[in-house]
Amino acid sequence: MPLRRRDNLLTWLVVGPFAIVLAFPFYWMLQTSLKSELDLYNTENNPFGFGEGSPTLDNYRFLFGETQYAHWLLNTVLVGLVVVAITLAVSLPAGYALARLSGRWGQTLGVGLFLVYLVPPTLLFLPLSRVVAEVGLQDRLAALILVYPGFTIPFATWLLMGFFKSIPRELEDAALVDGASRLRTLTRIVFPISLPGILTVVIFTFSLCVNEFIYAIAFITSSDSKVVSTGIYTELIRGDVFFWGALMAATLIPAIPLALLYNTFLDRFIAGFTGGAFR
Amino acid sequence: MADVYDVHGSIGEEVTGTRTTRRELLRRGAVGSIVVVYGGATAKSAVGGAPRFRNRELKETLRIIQWSHFVPAYDKWFDNVYVKRWGQANDTEVIVDHINVNDIPARAAAEVAAQSGHDIFFFLAPPAAFEDQVIDHKEIVQAVTRKRGKIGNLAFRSTYNPRTKKYFAFSDNYVPDPANYRADLWGEVGIRPTSWDNILRAAPKLKAMGHPVGIGMSNEIDSNMALMALMMCFGGFIQNDKNRVVLNSKGTREALKFAKALFEQGMSNEIFAWTPASNNQAMVAGRLSLAMNAISITRTAELVNPELASKIELLPIPAGPNGRVGLEHVMGCYVIWKFAKNKRLAKKFLVDLETKYIGAFENSKFYNFPSWPSSVPNINRRLERDPVAKPAGKYKVLGEIAEKYTKNVGYPGTSNAGIDEMFSKFLIPQMFAEVAQGKRTPDDAARTYDRQIREIFQKWRNLGKV
Repeated sequence: MPLRRRDNLLTWLVVGPFAIVLAFPFYWMLQTSLKSELDLYNTENNPFGFGEGSPTLDNYRFLFGETQYAHWLLNTVLVGLVVVAITLAVSLPAGYALARLSGRWGQTLGVGLFLVYLVPPTLLFLPLSRVVAEVGLQDRLAALILVYPGFTIPFATWLLMGFFKSIPRELEDAALVDGASRLRTLTRIVFPISLPGILTVVIFTFSLCVNEFIYAIAFITSSDSKVVSTGIYTELIRGDVFFWGALMAATLIPAIPLALLYNTFLDRFIAGFTGGAFR
Repeated sequence: MADVYDVHGSIGEEVTGTRTTRRELLRRGAVGSIVVVYGGATAKSAVGGAPRFRNRELKETLRIIQWSHFVPAYDKWFDNVYVKRWGQANDTEVIVDHINVNDIPARAAAEVAAQSGHDIFFFLAPPAAFEDQVIDHKEIVQAVTRKRGKIGNLAFRSTYNPRTKKYFAFSDNYVPDPANYRADLWGEVGIRPTSWDNILRAAPKLKAMGHPVGIGMSNEIDSNMALMALMMCFGGFIQNDKNRVVLNSKGTREALKFAKALFEQGMSNEIFAWTPASNNQAMVAGRLSLAMNAISITRTAELVNPELASKIELLPIPAGPNGRVGLEHVMGCYVIWKFAKNKRLAKKFLVDLETKYIGAFENSKFYNFPSWPSSVPNINRRLERDPVAKPAGKYKVLGEIAEKYTKNVGYPGTSNAGIDEMFSKFLIPQMFAEVAQGKRTPDDAARTYDRQIREIFQKWRNLGKV
């Protein structure tokens, strides 16, 4: 067998099972979302095919017609975008400062910041409830916008710090020698080179916001202000009855753009995560 | 528009530097939309669409939080009909928020920590552990009693603390807990699940037919209720009528032996990973032959698979050596926090809700039974005439169950803080699971868990709550 063909075959043998395992949840969500309740609950039906009353768009109709799903999607996007903006505004200068200006303390502080990220929300939500109530933000999206940067900024700063370290200092020195200010050096030299890292922060922060659950459930109960993660959990799981079809539809819809986003920027995402790995 | 067109307003003419590209237009459009739609990001209702301050002219505000009822139509009726009418009549904007049943304790803890939240908070089990955080609900109980007669014994024993002489909650409803069984399958075996002994005799045959019995032994509410009821049918009780722990008894050991035999002969390992949805899903999927659950099973089947629904019938809790002693499935308990902003209206709301409970009873599809029995007159006739029931009159048995076989958690004592903590730690399901899995003998399990529960009770006794 030619060497190249053998390599291809090996690649497929390794990647194939991973791809199937990773794609299966999406396939399962899609198929379940198109099934009727009768079909779904009939254990004699082929689970990979369609039975009585399927395929159907009833679950999507229910989702958009009987719940405030579209509303929750918009809320999620809004919170995600604002938190991304806040995170970038804080973690870009913080990451740079820790990488360049703090000397050997930078690394220690960076690790310290990352440790903050590891404190679980299940411990923090009770004291933070007090804070949110004190500032009068209960049941408002602003509560999430206030709290989420608490875990996105430490991670983003730590990530960007590693990335900035991988940029040769000589580039900045050259710009400074040519008369550029520190700020100009940052905006014209450092940040453009750091685009993969910044994109990683954007995507990862947005994903964290979409996935977050504890704070969203603790701080927001008003249906108008719910986000996707809590809205579907509250409205589509009623006591001991699960609306499986609608649940799957509701989780599939935000998963698709996120998956596309990751896919589009995959190379840069990997570069972002590994950018500071060798320094 | 000036961004799209050139300075002269002509389209398509190349103007370098000032012309906006399609991408730029989309970007600005998106940003603009978000700014417009979310202009009030810090307002209560952040997104355009629903009116932000509907009923702004109403004078007062009352905030309620409760579970997402398993019957969606109940929430629609409650939120959009009952509450709206009540609000108009009382010049009050009533805001009802819904929460998943599993998040009730965490949300309650968060509101208590913040000393801020809803005026009325709904629990699905007697929240005795929160006694210090709530008002005495005696005034509400008395007001309803004046209109509807005596409070039901179940509600009284679930919400009144005889030690502190305080009503730590106001119960509007409870849910009877029947045995749901597949009449066709049991018919084939030739036995009816009227006693635990019958169940043990039939279970091996039913399991061999591919339809095991499903009684959970897991950390979840259905397992808690079913196993405590099973224990009582064998004469095992957590506490006596003086609220003293008496778990380590012959009755408990007998119940544990029985449950181990039932698991080995007629159930599957699934019961150790049971969730509140398992009864429903397995029964509606046609897998189980029997489950202890509220009527959500048959109501779901009526929607999903009417043919199967007609084969699922209801019976009171099976009889054991100590007779039939069942529990409520869930106990609806409203509390008014001490920090509630509008206590006066909260009290009035609860009095009015219970006084005219027919709407709640009907719209919950007979799930919510009134805590004041006379709040829904002719309840048995209503149950018998359910238009959907197949066979006809299927739900009539709920009246008998409610009247004769529904006790409070902690019976023959009262539902107190010790019971509340033991309940939320799922100690009884853990005890049964350990015996069923052979990790402990019935003697050892009864002794060990008796000691654990005594410690919990002692803690609350020291705090003056038990």
